[in-house]
Amino acid sequence: MTKKKHLLVFILPFGLLFAAFYVAPIGYAIKQSLYKVTRTGTFGPAHEVFGGLEQYQRVFENGPFWESVGRVLLFGLVQVPVMLGLALLLALLLDSGLVKGRRFFRLAFFVPYAVPGVVAAIMWGFLYSPNLSPFTAVTKNWDLLSADLVLWAMANVVTWVYVGYNMLIIYSALLAIPQEVYEAAKIDGAGPLRTAWSIKIPLVMPAIVLTTVFSIIGTLQLLAEPQVFRTFSSAVSSTYTPNLTVYSTSSIPNFNLAAAFSVVLALATFALSFTFLKFTQRGADK
Amino acid sequence: MKKILSVLLTSTLALTACSSGGDDDTTATTGAASCAPSSGGPVTLNFTSWIPNIEDVVKVWNDSHPNIQVKVQTGPNGNGGTYQNFFNQLKAGNAPDLGQIEYDALPSFRVQDGLENLAACKPVSDAKDQFIDWTWNQVSFGEQNAVYGVPQDAGPMALFYRKDLFEKAGIAIPTTWEEYTAAAEKVKAAGGYITNFSQSDINQFAGLAWQAGGHWFANDGSKWSVNFQDEATTKVATYWQDLITKKLVSTVPPWTTEWDNAYNKGNAWTWVSAVWGANSISSGAPDTSGKWAVAPMPQWTAGGKTAGNWGGSSTAVFKGSKHPYEASEFAIWLNTSQEALTLLNEKANLYPATKSGATLPALSKGVAFYGDQKIYDVFAEASGQVAPDFTWGPTMTSTYATASDGFKAAVSGNGTLIDALKKAQTTTVDNLKSQSIPVAE
Repeated sequence: MTKKKHLLVFILPFGLLFAAFYVAPIGYAIKQSLYKVTRTGTFGPAHEVFGGLEQYQRVFENGPFWESVGRVLLFGLVQVPVMLGLALLLALLLDSGLVKGRRFFRLAFFVPYAVPGVVAAIMWGFLYSPNLSPFTAVTKNWDLLSADLVLWAMANVVTWVYVGYNMLIIYSALLAIPQEVYEAAKIDGAGPLRTAWSIKIPLVMPAIVLTTVFSIIGTLQLLAEPQVFRTFSSAVSSTYTPNLTVYSTSSIPNFNLAAAFSVVLALATFALSFTFLKFTQRGADK
Repeated sequence: MKKILSVLLTSTLALTACSSGGDDDTTATTGAASCAPSSGGPVTLNFTSWIPNIEDVVKVWNDSHPNIQVKVQTGPNGNGGTYQNFFNQLKAGNAPDLGQIEYDALPSFRVQDGLENLAACKPVSDAKDQFIDWTWNQVSFGEQNAVYGVPQDAGPMALFYRKDLFEKAGIAIPTTWEEYTAAAEKVKAAGGYITNFSQSDINQFAGLAWQAGGHWFANDGSKWSVNFQDEATTKVATYWQDLITKKLVSTVPPWTTEWDNAYNKGNAWTWVSAVWGANSISSGAPDTSGKWAVAPMPQWTAGGKTAGNWGGSSTAVFKGSKHPYEASEFAIWLNTSQEALTLLNEKANLYPATKSGATLPALSKGVAFYGDQKIYDVFAEASGQVAPDFTWGPTMTSTYATASDGFKAAVSGNGTLIDALKKAQTTTVDNLKSQSIPVAE
């Protein structure tokens, strides 16, 4: 009984905040998504009435929204492996002892994460803009803000920001590997590459899985980068990513439809992350 | 005793407010019922605006009106985020008392039931005759007993051009759109672009269509009708599509550093813009001071006298304001008094929406950035040539977003401006339907 009470005391601060800033807004969004607006006459006041799944029907009929979902999935399929591959490589390098000034590099790789996402996007936007970029040799030959390349130009920004963050998670997992394992490997005659491949990577797999899940969630929620790039590039529309669609819809303002978009997006994110976890767990059981 | 009295008074006020809010079947009467001065005590009003240096103007009011203090909050321009904030604040029930709303966004706010009808507020009804007719039409929606904002400024359009470059290249200043194309070819040959086509700010295109006689929306009282494909709009779209296809205009995204740069470096030679554009050029292209001049907008028929309008704002009072009377007093001062109008012009190049505004001493002076030309004379003339009956739709934010998606695609070679307008048409109709706003198909 007292143990339960203690538990409650520890959970309470988190629980309260979680309920107020997470559960309640989600509940409100779900409620909003089930309502619709009716009015009489051209300027008649709006009444919110229960509309059942009407908004959801609109969501599923909305072509640009599903296009944007496809776009971020493509983005994630390419960007997440590249980013995590880089993060893993950097973490292994830092851990290998090949690098001098380990502390410096650990911080240096992490610094972009300290730059707010919007600021990073604006900075890269300037670097990409043909008339402003200091790298004219590149921007003259490739229009990085054109319809073909802008998605990957954004992928570069996201990678730049988050590589260091993911590296740090993987690196701290590497530090947790007990020294005896390395000694055993050494005795068996394993070189640094062999150790990395057969010992380090399998042992930090849980960290990699974790960062992948974070990245999947982050990808589906892309907002700041496309929002900023809209002003730089003619290729970024107001429905470029799912979250941008939500944002534009709520500025109509059509809060009910925006809520329905959000709920569908949240469910999709949940399903995708969960599938990935299930998939990797089954792999681990084998 | 005094306290009890004021409590009684406010509670009756609240009651009347409740009852007038209750019978919402008849839109004409809502809000017009209660607009009396607040009793006792100083009043504090919140005001959100994105006019450059608006704080300095409001300070003048605050210094002379200790009982009605106005707190200013500034933000990005309307479609850049402030409107979204307003909508969210209205939904949450904590909107400011006053806000800057452009004419094109007034219907969107009215349809969301976000605006106080100021027709019963004496300061407003008394000032009616002071405003230019078409601006009053925008805030009253052409109805009797309806005033949903106080006109602030107008955006009559004209042609800003680089006098020095035109002279040097020996090109005549175009007076018709046909001449404008011809000039564009010569400018291109001289290594520049005649202008930058605004790919994502649809308001400029709206102004161009307005000049040509386009009508995008109509409201017959029971239904909206939407038409982005009337003859005039199609003519304007075809014209600009031609310039884009021939690469005679640049298509740098507007309102960016890159765009400022294009004007500052002399890559773009003209800009068909509104009077407040004078400020955009002088702040965005400071190196070109003294090299610009202003001429009337090119015409569709030689010798014609028509102008478009781009932008222009009103000061609106939001639903739920506890002090509509004081708010309207401030709004009227801000937009009709000589001291405020002079300051607004000095600080932000605003062109007043009042009839007497044109005779403000500040507006009859030469402007140094424009080679001491008396540029406001040109805009005063344009102001009288703006067609008074252009109607905005109730979901302009999303209409602009869709149209600008299409315009952006068109400048990158996917589709045309005509396609973009077609798309804007269907999306706008869909949006109206999804909000149960009656619309004719």
